[in-house]
Amino acid sequence: MAKEKTLSGCAASALAVKMAKVDVICSYPIRPYTATMMELSKMVADGELDAEFVHGEGEHAQLSVCYGASAAGARTFTGSSGVGVTYAFETYSPISGGRLPVQMMIADRALDPPGDFGSEHTDVMSARDQGWLMGWAETPQEAFDNHLINYRIGEDKRVMLPQFVCQDGYFVSHIPNKVIVPEQAQVDEFLPPYSPGAHVLDPQKPMSHGPQIRPDQGAIMDLQRAQAFLDLPKVVREAVADFNRIFGRNYSPFVEEYMTEDADLAFFIQGGHTLTARHAVKHLREQGLKVGLVKLRFLRPFPTQEVGEILSKFKGVGVIETNTSYGGSMRGGSLLGEVRASLYDAAKRPVTTSFMAGLGGDVIPLKDFYWAAKILAQAVKAGKVEKTVYWAGLEEQAA
Amino acid sequence: MFNIPKESAVPFGCVTPAPVGEQPMMITGNWREFRPVIDNEKCNLCLNCSVFCPDACWQMNEAEDEMVWNAKYCKGCLICVNECSHDALTKAYELDFPDGVVRLEKPF
Repeated sequence: MAKEKTLSGCAASALAVKMAKVDVICSYPIRPYTATMMELSKMVADGELDAEFVHGEGEHAQLSVCYGASAAGARTFTGSSGVGVTYAFETYSPISGGRLPVQMMIADRALDPPGDFGSEHTDVMSARDQGWLMGWAETPQEAFDNHLINYRIGEDKRVMLPQFVCQDGYFVSHIPNKVIVPEQAQVDEFLPPYSPGAHVLDPQKPMSHGPQIRPDQGAIMDLQRAQAFLDLPKVVREAVADFNRIFGRNYSPFVEEYMTEDADLAFFIQGGHTLTARHAVKHLREQGLKVGLVKLRFLRPFPTQEVGEILSKFKGVGVIETNTSYGGSMRGGSLLGEVRASLYDAAKRPVTTSFMAGLGGDVIPLKDFYWAAKILAQAVKAGKVEKTVYWAGLEEQAA
Repeated sequence: MFNIPKESAVPFGCVTPAPVGEQPMMITGNWREFRPVIDNEKCNLCLNCSVFCPDACWQMNEAEDEMVWNAKYCKGCLICVNECSHDALTKAYELDFPDGVVRLEKPF
C-alpha cells in the first residue's frame, strides 16, 4: 500500500528520483536544491539506490556529465538553483537539440546581485526557450509526482526532450508536508525503464553527437524541436491520464482551476504561492467577491489553447508574476504576455493585468491578493486596466 | 506539413555516423588564407607539426620518410610553422598558388 510520509520538497524529489531508478546523478552544491543531492548521496552510500553518483566541478560540468550519460543510454538526474542554473546555460540547447531526455530539478532562487538566496522564478524562466519542458510544483507531493510524469513524457519516443522540474525554493523545497509515497510496483507500471532511441552511443556503431552542421541545416534542426513541442500536448495528456489512473490522483494536464465556477475574477499563478492564493480566494469569496484561481502546471509547452479557453470565461484576470522580464512587452514579468497572446483570438476577452509578487524570496501575504483583487474589480468596472503591471506591497497606497 | 529539401535534411537529434578517416560533410580547407610549405631537406621528422596540428593535417608517409600535408582540412592556422623545430615550414599566401583557395568562394 502507498503510505503517507512527511517530506520537504527536496526530500520528496530525491525519493521520486530513487523510485524512478535513475542511473546517473551529477551534483554540485547550491542552496536550496542541495538537500535533494544530500538525500540521494545517502541512498547511494547506503546501497538503497544503484546509481553512479558523480560530483561535478560546477553546474556546466553537471549538465555535461548528464549530456554524455544520457547519450550513452542512461536515465540521468541533476539539479540546481539560481546562479547555478544560469552558469550551465550553454548546455541547455545542445541537450534539447541532441534530443536527450536529461532531467534537471530546479528549486528556484533569485539571481545576483547581490547574493539574494530567496525563491524567485526568474532563474530557470530565463531558459524557457531552450527546448526543455518546464513546470512548477505547488507542494512536495506535486514535486514528487512531477518528476515521474516528466521522465515519462521526456523519454517518450515521440518527444525525447529534457525537462526542468521546478519547485519554489524554500516555500516548497524546505517546508515539510504530507506526501503519499506510492508502491514501487505502481512507479514501475507508470514508468518503464528508459529505452533510448537509435541515437545512443555504441562502440560497435561509432557516431558523432553535436557535430557541426551547415547554416542551411540550422533552421531544419530548429524545426525538429519545434515539431516535437507541437506534438507534446497529446503525450502530456496521455501521461497525466495514466498517472491519475495508476496513482489515484486528479491532475489536470496543463491548467488547474480552483473555485472558478461562477467566478468573475481569477488569479493566474504557478508554483508554491498558489497555496496562499487558494486561501485568499476562499476569504475573498466570504467577503462576497466572486474570485477563482487558475494554476499553470506547464510553462513549456505553454497550453495556449487551454489558457485561452479557460480565461475567456472571466471578466478580469490578474497574473501573479514571480519573475522579471526587464523591458518586456508587459513591463513586468513574462507570464502576462503569454496569457494575453493566448487570449488574442478569443471571442470574449477579460481585462488582464499583472502583479509582481514574491520576488527575491518575499512571501506573498494574503493582503497582497486582497489588494490585487480590488484593483482587478476596479478594472472590470472601468472596462480597462490602468497599467499592465503593479508591484505588490510597494504601491499599496495607490489602491 | 513542412517542405524540407532532401539535401538539407538533418538526422534525428543531429547525430551523424562518426567518420572513419575524413569527414566529407565538413571540408574546412577553403577557410585558409595562408598555408604552410615544407622544405623536406630541412625536416628531421620530429613530428612537432603532427602533434600540434589541431586538425590532424600532418601525417608521416613512412615509406617515403616525409611529412604529408592535408590541403582539404588545413585551415591555415600556422601553428605548425610556429612549432617546427628545424625551420622546415614557412608561411605562404594562398593566392600565390595556382590551386589556391579563395576564401568564401564557397563558404562551407
